[in-house]
Amino acid sequence: MSALISVEALSAEGRAALERLVLGLADSKRLMGIRYSDWVVGAPSIETGIATSSMTQDEWGHARLLYAMLKHLGVDPVEVEHNRGADEYANLSLLDKQFENWAALVTAMVVLDGALSVVLRGFSEGTFEPAGLRVPKMLAEEQFHVSLGFAWYRRLAAASDEARSLLRDATDAQLPATLAWLGADDAPAKVLVELGVMPTATALTTSFQESVGDVLASCAVDVGAVEPASNWDSARGRATGRPDAESVERARGDRNRSLFVE
Amino acid sequence: MIEITYDVFARKKRGDTLHHIGYVDALDDETAKVYAWTTYDEENWFEMCVVRRSQIIPVNRDEGPFAKTSGDAA
Repeated sequence: MSALISVEALSAEGRAALERLVLGLADSKRLMGIRYSDWVVGAPSIETGIATSSMTQDEWGHARLLYAMLKHLGVDPVEVEHNRGADEYANLSLLDKQFENWAALVTAMVVLDGALSVVLRGFSEGTFEPAGLRVPKMLAEEQFHVSLGFAWYRRLAAASDEARSLLRDATDAQLPATLAWLGADDAPAKVLVELGVMPTATALTTSFQESVGDVLASCAVDVGAVEPASNWDSARGRATGRPDAESVERARGDRNRSLFVE
Repeated sequence: MIEITYDVFARKKRGDTLHHIGYVDALDDETAKVYAWTTYDEENWFEMCVVRRSQIIPVNRDEGPFAKTSGDAA
């Protein structure tokens, strides 16, 4: 690894690129937690509901740690967490709204949560010291998400035609946007590679394909043959669109906000 | 989908006795590990393990949960 970067010495472009990365990861973790929480009630079994509850807590804890990293860049995390509009969210676009069925959530455990972990691993091995200190614990907790996601994905792939069909539809829907997110090779991404903060987009994509290739093959999906989506918005570091109103309200904690005490 | 019953055992500290703390129903060994860890998270366990109930051999009783193997396809 190269020498650690000094945030104070970063150019405006470097600082903006790092802020975009951290915000995208934090928002994605926040929304990933909300998506897991959608299934605490309604999961296929009590044990699975408890597991999604636990994963919700993990994701929100990770989001809190990532938002806190913004302080290193002179950004107030409280403002970011509670006072932004939907258009300012930088999350993975597939988390914008609730998943329609359990198969789609299982796919998200494998594909979306998997992609987030690939990016976080790269971030933790780079030159931004706070990531190296805080992200490894997140990745350790994510191992349980991987285990659950892989086991459920394989089980649904081997179950009824209906289950397999729902799984395949969800996988086909989620992979293109995920690959576009991982493979974004725009100017901010290149700045982060030059700084040693992140691996290249190609390396991230390859790592992701290797990590999920076998499990997706159980549903006859060849991840290497999937084309990334083309609706990338470089300014926001995500695809076009925005999280729906209810998700933003939940992410910000709007309800009972007047009772919030710090 | 057929679920398998796993009994959960854990100890709080190295050297403590391994205690039976409960059970989970799971698809397989991997999901059993996740369910056990997330369901029985009231302690910071030093060690936790799961055992398929069907693999437990009763010694002196022919009745009770450990004498039954229902739901275990393995």
